[in-house]
Amino acid sequence: MPKHYRPAGKKKEGNAAKYITRTKAVNYLQVSLAIFRKLCILKGVFPRQPKKKVEGNHKTYYHTKDIAFLAHDPLIEKFREIKVHRRKVKKAVAKKNRDLADRLLNRPPTYKLDRLVLERYPTFVDALRDLDDCLTMVHLFAALPAVDGERVEVKRIHNCRRLSHEWQAYISRTHSLRKTFISVKGIYYQAEVQGQKITWLTPHALQQVLTDDVDFNVMLSFLEFYETLLGFVNFKLYHSINVNYPPILDPRLEALAAELYALCRYMSAGSRRMIGNSQSDEVMEDKDEKTKADGVIEEDKDVKNKASSKADESELRLAQLQHQLPTNEPGALMNLVEESTADDADDDDTKECKGLFKNLKFYLSREVPRESLLFIIPAFGGTVSWEGEGAPFKEEDEDTTHQIVDRPTQSHVFLSREYVQPQWVFDCVNARIILPTEGYLVGRVPPPHLSPFVDNDAEGYIPEYAETIKRLQAAARNEVLPLPGIGDEDLDNSLVAAMMDRTESNEAAEKKRKLEMLEKQYHDELKMEIDGVAFSSLSNKEGDKSPDAKDDTQSDREEDASKQEEKDDDDIGTALMSRRQRGLYKAMKMGKEKKKEKIELLKKRKKNTDSSASSKKRH
Amino acid sequence: MGQSDGEHEHEGNDLSADDSSWSDGVWSEDDNEESLSFEDSGEGSGSDGESDDAAAAEESDSSEDEVAPRNTVGDVPLEWYKDEEHIGYDIDGRKIRNVIGRGALKPTSGRQMMPRIESSRSVRGLGKGVSGKPYPRLCNARRPRLEPGTFWQRRRKIYDEYNDEEVQITKDEAKIISRLLKGKTPHTNVDPYPDYVDWFEYEDKGHPLSSAPEPKRRFVPSKWEQKKAVKLVRAIRNGWIKFDKPKEERNLYLLWGDETDTADNKRHGLSYIPPPKPKLPGHEESYNPSIEYIPSQEEIDSYQLMYEEDRLKFIPKRFESLRSVPAYEKALREGFDRCLDLYLCPRTRKKRINIDPESLKPKLPSKKDLRPYPKTCYLEFKGHTSPVKSISVEITGQWLASGSCDGTIRVWEVETGRCLKVWNVGGDVRHIAWNPSPDRPILAAVVGHDLLLINAEVGSEEMQMRVKDLLKIDEMAPQDDTDKKPAVRWMKHEKLDGITLIHQKAVSNVEWHYKGDYFTTVVPTGDTRAVLLHQLTKKHSHHPFRKLPGLPVAATFHPSQKMFFVATKKFVQVYDLQKAQLVKKLESGLREISSISIHPGGDNVIVGSKDGKLCWFDTDLSTRPYKTLKGFGLQVPS
Repeated sequence: MPKHYRPAGKKKEGNAAKYITRTKAVNYLQVSLAIFRKLCILKGVFPRQPKKKVEGNHKTYYHTKDIAFLAHDPLIEKFREIKVHRRKVKKAVAKKNRDLADRLLNRPPTYKLDRLVLERYPTFVDALRDLDDCLTMVHLFAALPAVDGERVEVKRIHNCRRLSHEWQAYISRTHSLRKTFISVKGIYYQAEVQGQKITWLTPHALQQVLTDDVDFNVMLSFLEFYETLLGFVNFKLYHSINVNYPPILDPRLEALAAELYALCRYMSAGSRRMIGNSQSDEVMEDKDEKTKADGVIEEDKDVKNKASSKADESELRLAQLQHQLPTNEPGALMNLVEESTADDADDDDTKECKGLFKNLKFYLSREVPRESLLFIIPAFGGTVSWEGEGAPFKEEDEDTTHQIVDRPTQSHVFLSREYVQPQWVFDCVNARIILPTEGYLVGRVPPPHLSPFVDNDAEGYIPEYAETIKRLQAAARNEVLPLPGIGDEDLDNSLVAAMMDRTESNEAAEKKRKLEMLEKQYHDELKMEIDGVAFSSLSNKEGDKSPDAKDDTQSDREEDASKQEEKDDDDIGTALMSRRQRGLYKAMKMGKEKKKEKIELLKKRKKNTDSSASSKKRH
Repeated sequence: MGQSDGEHEHEGNDLSADDSSWSDGVWSEDDNEESLSFEDSGEGSGSDGESDDAAAAEESDSSEDEVAPRNTVGDVPLEWYKDEEHIGYDIDGRKIRNVIGRGALKPTSGRQMMPRIESSRSVRGLGKGVSGKPYPRLCNARRPRLEPGTFWQRRRKIYDEYNDEEVQITKDEAKIISRLLKGKTPHTNVDPYPDYVDWFEYEDKGHPLSSAPEPKRRFVPSKWEQKKAVKLVRAIRNGWIKFDKPKEERNLYLLWGDETDTADNKRHGLSYIPPPKPKLPGHEESYNPSIEYIPSQEEIDSYQLMYEEDRLKFIPKRFESLRSVPAYEKALREGFDRCLDLYLCPRTRKKRINIDPESLKPKLPSKKDLRPYPKTCYLEFKGHTSPVKSISVEITGQWLASGSCDGTIRVWEVETGRCLKVWNVGGDVRHIAWNPSPDRPILAAVVGHDLLLINAEVGSEEMQMRVKDLLKIDEMAPQDDTDKKPAVRWMKHEKLDGITLIHQKAVSNVEWHYKGDYFTTVVPTGDTRAVLLHQLTKKHSHHPFRKLPGLPVAATFHPSQKMFFVATKKFVQVYDLQKAQLVKKLESGLREISSISIHPGGDNVIVGSKDGKLCWFDTDLSTRPYKTLKGFGLQVPS
């Protein structure tokens, strides 16, 4: 009798009933493996880890409910339809029935994924929570070469580019960007939307190479879902700031590859127009609305209606107003609120971000990554222009405060502005203060660029530059006097800063004292040497000190004893733990050891480099 | 075409003119070379023949095909004959003289008698190289003067290796060859694509090939075609076939419109496990990290020695400026890996404990709370010269007995540390036990192989007397009637005034019953007589267990009941002495039990093992250890 014998007619129970292997699932669904994959990707079905793997250890298990969920999806029928359609086309081509083939190719079966998006993310916050991968993927594809004949369609790459720009425009407009980081892999951004921290990676703006070691079918399936998701997310976000979603861009700017800027302009224009609308609504209701209603679709429709039937105009006007008021009023009100008391509506973070680059004007040189800076600088309240057509202001503009340059030397110098490397912007953003530009001037090797995602204290190792920045931050905070209108929090903040300052100064003082002591000792010794104190006398002196030494040894012994005691305690403790806990304990200890080792390595390297640098200086 | 033909003809005329010019004046010319060649070639029949045939050659323009082959030596390189007098024989059997160099096989026809004009410098050089002399002239004394046509004539000369001669090709022949090389027909007047002449045309003739009448179907519209057309029309009318491309519309709308309805906003089905977010980049991933994050070259080399799994996935790099940062070559790969993780990795919820590892340790009472406990050495009992193996305290607590490897047993007074008595027993004392009965101060000691019972000589006179009585033994009275060799012989120890129990094998352990009458010894290698019970008053001993599940290690009595514990290597067996049956079997889970001890209450048993573990059994609760303590490092001997 086999081990897992089950009498005929008895249903499976437990893990055997709950989980199903992939092969079985594919057979059950009667689809090919490729389609199964695509279904899983689109529906977000993933394998699960059963408590007991009934069919074997090296198999993938899906929950039976998940598979049933797939089986009931209309998408599966759609995929079958597509398969049939492909076969029909093939047959028509084989029979040289060009007409039929063309006709069929014109109308392939299509499907929509909006239902799936809602199914997977019932609330908007859910969608935002899982947006990281989506954004990274869309940005990655936006950076791929849009060339015909490659494995990715040009149309999709353009779509990705558009979606990514729309997203960035929103983030920039609402000043919700929080952190940026230039890594070797690309540029990381972190934004905060509706309380969710969303991090994504954009590749460097260089041509990516399509390698052969990836399966584009899988990636494109993911992208298909992500495009839809991001489209809807963008719609919702634009809706929330009262801008029409599929934004209509200035074709000239678009052609100049300044889509982001075009988008930003569109957005600001859109919101302004909305304000205008509402104001005119309030002031003069009975005026002709044709001029102002061209932006909003709903209004457009209404206008058309009006044009078609002029007979009952008054009635329609009423209906229109009724229709308009509930839709327009909240938005208009919000805009008004935003305009008047924007500072109250935003949280502190946004306020801080919004004002970081206020009153600063940037000019980008040709060689700097324009796209990322065009995104970041407005997100933190700065104005920016670039070299090229369609730029808002020229290089010669007198008000420009910073020119961002990335070349070995810069010849043409305006005295009124500072020439800095792009890293300065990123570091400023991460530190949330305007850093001094000395280190970042053109031609210099900039100070190390540190990741804002690392909690240095938790990590246990603080790079030198992080401390410098901390000091600068503290200084900046001190400078800012608490304004009368600002609430307690800021006061607290400043207090905290002051406290920090004090502690820091204390530390510094202590350090100084130590240094002085050491120096004094050194000087004493030197003096002794000069005076020609004989070694014997010194040794005598040491002999005098010998009781002390004895004391030392005694204390050492005591220390040893106490250590031994501690160790004994440890041993007793581990002796009493259960095996499971002991394993856990050991693993934790090991992890800590590893971390410590890493930090030690870093410290060692730092020491080495420092010593080598100092020796070089001496030479 | 016609024009080109004309040209050809024109050329042809030129050629003929050239020929004529040759025949007219050119041949009469003389010069130095020619005379030289005469000298070289010398006289001979060849020259005669040449002059004879000259006229014939002028007349006939025929090809060499008609001339018999002049080479009679066969297809061998003529070079082989260069040192010979003659080259083969002609048809009449005369020797064909070898003229130095080439041209010995003279042509007979006039065409071949044309003067040699080297086609190229290289040929001439070759000739010189071979013969070592200026190129020989074998022809007659005439040589064409250099004039416009001669270049072409020179070009049209071909050397025939077999016959060793130069062949002059006419212009026509050259043309034919060039046409053949181009893949055309050899002659210009052949039309490769003549107009097709339909030899079988009948239409004008009035007589068709078949005289059958045209069928009707040729005149009526096809039914099936019509049906097909109707089908298509119907499909088009009903909108089943559409010709215009469907419009592409992006139907985005407010998907998450109303967030207030909580019932609708719930995800259905199984609980969703969100994928773990990708790890955020640390300092080392920066394009310009601090110097300490960059591994030295040696470290990078050392990574190569690691296993592939252990190797760092990312090696930090430093770029001087942002413009020098290249595209990340693994960007696509990493995106793809993330995709694979998202749809292929099984997901489970795992609790990640983020606690201080020290909190895992059980809370022990602090040592201060446990005080008073001995901290400092109060007394030292000095006297033994070798390691002390075993000690035992008298039940009253006044006396302490110790057995040592130096073969002595000492009794000490606990409070003062005074050595009361020393016995020299002459052998290692491995175990010692004081009789628990307060009025029987007797010591049981394992000395060498055997057990020794001696009077401790403490206590009152009366007690001493009683003990002496107890330890008196009759000489060998009951020994004979036992069937076999007894397990133990009770012997009087003369010197120490005690009793020796002589065992067959080495005794390892001795324990008293709490009443002080019975005691047990364990002989680990004793097979069926491994555990022995002895009665002191009757001087009798027996072995209660015929069979034991393993080697016994230790045995002891229950402190209050009639129970008996035997510890084998893995288990502890509990026997009822009265009923003589097994009551319980304690499973320690230890590998090698070395000792056993029972709490005076009788419920708790502690078992120590050689692998450094300690089991605490509560016999009331279960047969499994209540607690196992590990990590003593050393074995727990007793």
